[in-house]
Amino acid sequence: MTETYRGAAAVAHETQLIARIAEGDRRAFEELYTLYHRRMARFLTRLTRRYELAEEVINDTFWVVWRKAGDFRGDSQPSTWILGIAYRKARSAFRSAARLAERDLETATEALTSEAPANSEELRDWLGQALQQLPVEQRMAVELCYELGYSCEEIGTIMDCPPNTVKTRLFHARAKLQKLLPQLATPQADIARENQQS
Amino acid sequence: MMTQTRNDHEECWLQLPWLATGRLSPGERAAAEEHVRGCTACAAELERQRLVCAALREPERVTHAPGPSFRKLLERIDAAGAAPAPEPVPDLGAHRAARTRRLRPAAAWRPPGLAWAATFVFALGVGMLAPTFYRWSQPAYSTYTRAAPAPAGVLHIAFERSLAVGDVEQLLRAAGARIVEGPDRNGIFGVAPAEESTDAGAITPRMRALAARLGSDARVRWLQPLPATAAEPGADRTAAPH
Repeated sequence: MTETYRGAAAVAHETQLIARIAEGDRRAFEELYTLYHRRMARFLTRLTRRYELAEEVINDTFWVVWRKAGDFRGDSQPSTWILGIAYRKARSAFRSAARLAERDLETATEALTSEAPANSEELRDWLGQALQQLPVEQRMAVELCYELGYSCEEIGTIMDCPPNTVKTRLFHARAKLQKLLPQLATPQADIARENQQS
Repeated sequence: MMTQTRNDHEECWLQLPWLATGRLSPGERAAAEEHVRGCTACAAELERQRLVCAALREPERVTHAPGPSFRKLLERIDAAGAAPAPEPVPDLGAHRAARTRRLRPAAAWRPPGLAWAATFVFALGVGMLAPTFYRWSQPAYSTYTRAAPAPAGVLHIAFERSLAVGDVEQLLRAAGARIVEGPDRNGIFGVAPAEESTDAGAITPRMRALAARLGSDARVRWLQPLPATAAEPGADRTAAPH
């Protein structure tokens, strides 16, 4: 699978920012923070459904980035390094806050709705609710793959697990989402068409 | 066409999310697409994967402003960096020696220049610590009413802390509002009427109507009062805090 999701120029720039942060450059720190805040806020808010918890995870992540920037040697992409920290912080925050209990995949769960989504916006809302039913590892794999567009290997680096584990987590997540949203099993042609047009 | 095996199907099935997002290598992609062309189950699943991908990548309805969060993080960094050094252990031997010197005036004498230098250092220390003492004298909490005034065309609002993101979105959609600022360190957002430019300047009737709708919602913890005008007496009642 491909290894270069973000352009080489972006990777070089972010690597340079991290080097400047290691020297205590706050402008570089603010630039990197702003770059990542938007994409992290989006998927963390969907994961947690709480603004304040998402913000807490982002700041805990960048607290580590500020303190450990000198340890970053460029062995991985800056984004996989930062999101790897975010993943560990998020997992810890979810569990300590008891907002996400590990759920048994074998537990039968009823579908969230029997109606067909009227549009892709409604489908996204339902997906957001369905994601809440997944264990945090599966939820993160879904977000990193579908929303942030990382490859299987990159997700493995972020989540510190082999690529086959990533595939398995996503396999279970897909099965669970189809159980929760039977509409996914028979996607509406008009929604697919609408998405293709947009 | 190559012969498809059960292993091909299973491998392709696992790779479909990345086929949908375009993150397979050229070789993997060619093999997966070859399989999908001859497998109706994988073709249908690929369609579903594209649907999920498109739904999750739709443009955001809520914009998150990083400024307040970043300032909060800088305060944390500054606080950690400016942590006071551990207090020195009192040197009882030196204390006893000083006491002995006080009892012997000749031994207690110090050159005047050194005394002036000590006084100067002490005064400098007091001057540097004054802002810290002032901060300590301030209450350790902040209230919504101490928030910076909203710019023209923006209404400051705080939701119930326990309110889920989806509920906030639904509340704002129902009221016809959109978020244009925040949240700041106190959880205050800036909202504006959905179909109005924030640089409109004056407080428009649409904004007053919006304040009334939001003010009547029990899930709104605090809403910045709008100033009443002669033409609209009692307009600020719409923004009574809960």
